[in-house]
Amino acid sequence: MKDVMLGRYIVGNSLIHRLDPRTKLISCTLIITAVLINYRWYFLLFYILLITMAIFSSGIKPKLIFRSLRKIRYLLLLTFVFQAILTTGHPLMQIGRLSVTQEGIALGTGTIFRLLIFYLCSNLLIMTTSTIKLAAGIESLLTPLTYLKIPVHHFSMIISTSLRFIPTFIEEANIITNAQKSRGAQFNSKNLITRLKSNIAIMIPLLAASLQRAEDLAMAMESRCYTGHPNQTRINKLNFNKKDVLLISFMLALLSVGVISSFI
Amino acid sequence: MTDHCIELVNVTKTYRSGAGDKRKIALDNITLTIREGEYIGLIGMNGSGKSTLARLLNGLIKPTTGTVTVNGLDTGSPQQLMEIRRLVGMVFQNPDNQIVCPVVEEEIAFGPENLGLAVDEIKRRVDWALQIVGLKELKDHAPHLLSGGQKQKLAIASVLVMLPNYLIMDEPSSMLDPLGRKELLKHLRLLNKQNGITIIFISHNLEDLIQADRVVVLDKGSIYLQGTPRQVFADEAKLAAIGLEPPGLNCLINKLGQEGYDIDETIKTVPELVEAICQLSLI
Amino acid sequence: MSAIIDIKDLNFTYQPGSPYQRQALSNINFTLDPGEFLGIVGSNGSGKSTLVQHLNGLLSPTTGKVTVCGVDTTDKELRDQLWKQAGLVFQHPEQQLFEATIYEEVAYGPKNLRLSEAEVKSRVYDALEKVGLIPAETEQLAPITLSGGMRRRVAIAGILALQPRVLILDEPMAGLDSIGRNLMLDLIKNRQQKGNETTVMISHSLKDIWALADKIAVLDKGSLVFYGEVKELLGHTELLTRCHLELPDYLQVVCSLATRGLTVNTTIRSIKEAGLEITKLLQEV
Repeated sequence: MKDVMLGRYIVGNSLIHRLDPRTKLISCTLIITAVLINYRWYFLLFYILLITMAIFSSGIKPKLIFRSLRKIRYLLLLTFVFQAILTTGHPLMQIGRLSVTQEGIALGTGTIFRLLIFYLCSNLLIMTTSTIKLAAGIESLLTPLTYLKIPVHHFSMIISTSLRFIPTFIEEANIITNAQKSRGAQFNSKNLITRLKSNIAIMIPLLAASLQRAEDLAMAMESRCYTGHPNQTRINKLNFNKKDVLLISFMLALLSVGVISSFI
Repeated sequence: MTDHCIELVNVTKTYRSGAGDKRKIALDNITLTIREGEYIGLIGMNGSGKSTLARLLNGLIKPTTGTVTVNGLDTGSPQQLMEIRRLVGMVFQNPDNQIVCPVVEEEIAFGPENLGLAVDEIKRRVDWALQIVGLKELKDHAPHLLSGGQKQKLAIASVLVMLPNYLIMDEPSSMLDPLGRKELLKHLRLLNKQNGITIIFISHNLEDLIQADRVVVLDKGSIYLQGTPRQVFADEAKLAAIGLEPPGLNCLINKLGQEGYDIDETIKTVPELVEAICQLSLI
Repeated sequence: MSAIIDIKDLNFTYQPGSPYQRQALSNINFTLDPGEFLGIVGSNGSGKSTLVQHLNGLLSPTTGKVTVCGVDTTDKELRDQLWKQAGLVFQHPEQQLFEATIYEEVAYGPKNLRLSEAEVKSRVYDALEKVGLIPAETEQLAPITLSGGMRRRVAIAGILALQPRVLILDEPMAGLDSIGRNLMLDLIKNRQQKGNETTVMISHSLKDIWALADKIAVLDKGSLVFYGEVKELLGHTELLTRCHLELPDYLQVVCSLATRGLTVNTTIRSIKEAGLEITKLLQEV
């Protein structure tokens, strides 16, 4: 269970790994925006090729990523079928009262490609960026919101402590589950009440432990001079360098090409 | 100078218990001075008030009556709390519940960041603290991957990095195995002797306190006994009355003493005692 | 008499085939007879907790065979029922309480056994008495309002109420003060004196189990490096040092006296006995 949630990041030292997390976040956003605006087939194909190249250069086994595509195959299939059937246009085939249209097939294929791009993009981001860097990146990108009096540093503190405690929490949930199993809790019982009761036997101790932990943590933070004011210093500053600037410019250029060509 | 100490004067702490105005007394009129450079052992059963006392020392809680001053700074005054907490570092019982950040290095930097120190200074101190507790190779790790003993060391490093004069350890040995406990005790001794840091070690196990300069025994919120470990351990009957047991070695020495054998009470190790018994058997 | 616990060539690997693969137990072999008390010692991370989770069917061997109370744990169906016979008390069990009253808490296990109302009640009362709580006074209290030590006793009662043939305790003394420890020791001793009750107890120090155990198992990095009678362990000083284990200090004194050629009995189990042994020695001279 622990690894399903946290095993997504695969340690590596490729160019993609070394990019600033903000670069990767921005690039992902730019790619997604681009394919939302322009969904001509050659444009989509170009992006797919680009991402495939990125996957290969990241040193992550492509098998790992492409195999995970199986998880969304039904989503892709359903999207395609609905688009094909529900779009009006030149009918190609008649199934009962439903007709498959040419426009529908074109739109469906486009949507599949777009979903693929979202999926591959975000997977590549998560697999090459550690959660900590990801959080730091998000925090840094949200910093301008401080001017709107939104307490970004509080959010980032929340994200950071969550990251810290998720593994502990999962570990604890496992222990409590096993402890209650040892008292005969049944999680696969056919009786709904029994199952509910078994789950309560986990939730309550887990909640109690979390409350205790929150109290302890607050005390520990306070005794280390945490006051809730934004910290002036941070030792792990993120660093934009040349390759980051280059990549973002490239993505911006592509987006502009996409936007312009969609009007032609 | 009289300033270099933590001073509790007639400190009483009560808590509201349950509904109504009924209050439970956690600490009852405690007067105690902890001088810089001392190694103090604070012991008592669960519920004797030792954790309450610890939290008073760095201003996490305020006394109901009486005063607590740290190097002349009153914990009752909010402006001085920051400096008090820097001076008095505190490591809590469960290392898992006090680690704030998702990376070892960031965790150690957390305190200095809060103090608003310059980045270079923080980095230098973090390296120093990592070095001192021996976690240098693990600085990029996630805390949940560390062993219990390593988490404990991390917690200590995160406090040392603020260069405190006093280090409070609140029942730090209860989650450690014998090896971890031994290492911890050795470490604290070094910090006390070499770095001159005052240690306040809280425990419910007298065995942890053999190396203290002074042991303070708490019972029901009052100071019950006080003295060098040897003096305290020798009073077995008085300890037994509040449910405490001296370390096995001291029990044995006390027993032989009661039987009328002349055994040196300053004995601290097994070989010393064996030697003493052999000497006696030769007479 | 056939063994109640029989472990043959047990190997256990966490998450085999994943990048997180880790061998937690390797080649464990031992048997335990009914009525015996087994103490399992080893430093943190030596595999103690993983081993005992095999004893009540929470885990099953990657290779090898574990038979407890005649149940082969490689069989999923049988394994899932093993909790009825092998009661496992986890570390810090006081953190696993969830019911509103002590009665309900202790009754949770017996109810899962589908016993009659009357039988549940008699078992709960019996279990509460065994852990030193007076049922009439405590059954309606909320566990939350109790001290940590008391809550731990309630949790242990929750397993005792299952009336397991094997009771397994994972570090039951951890974090208790000496009053709590002595109560826990008495509780375990009382159970042992009944005769036919098998107990397995994990501890990270030899001190806690020296007074209780018949057999001792020493784990080191997932391997069983010692298994045998308590007194046999005395001859393995270098093994003890390697595993960072220490004999209780009173025993160290008596053993050193023995190696110096003095006639002392090293089968002692308490400080009191050590004191008597040494005074006897000194009087003889």
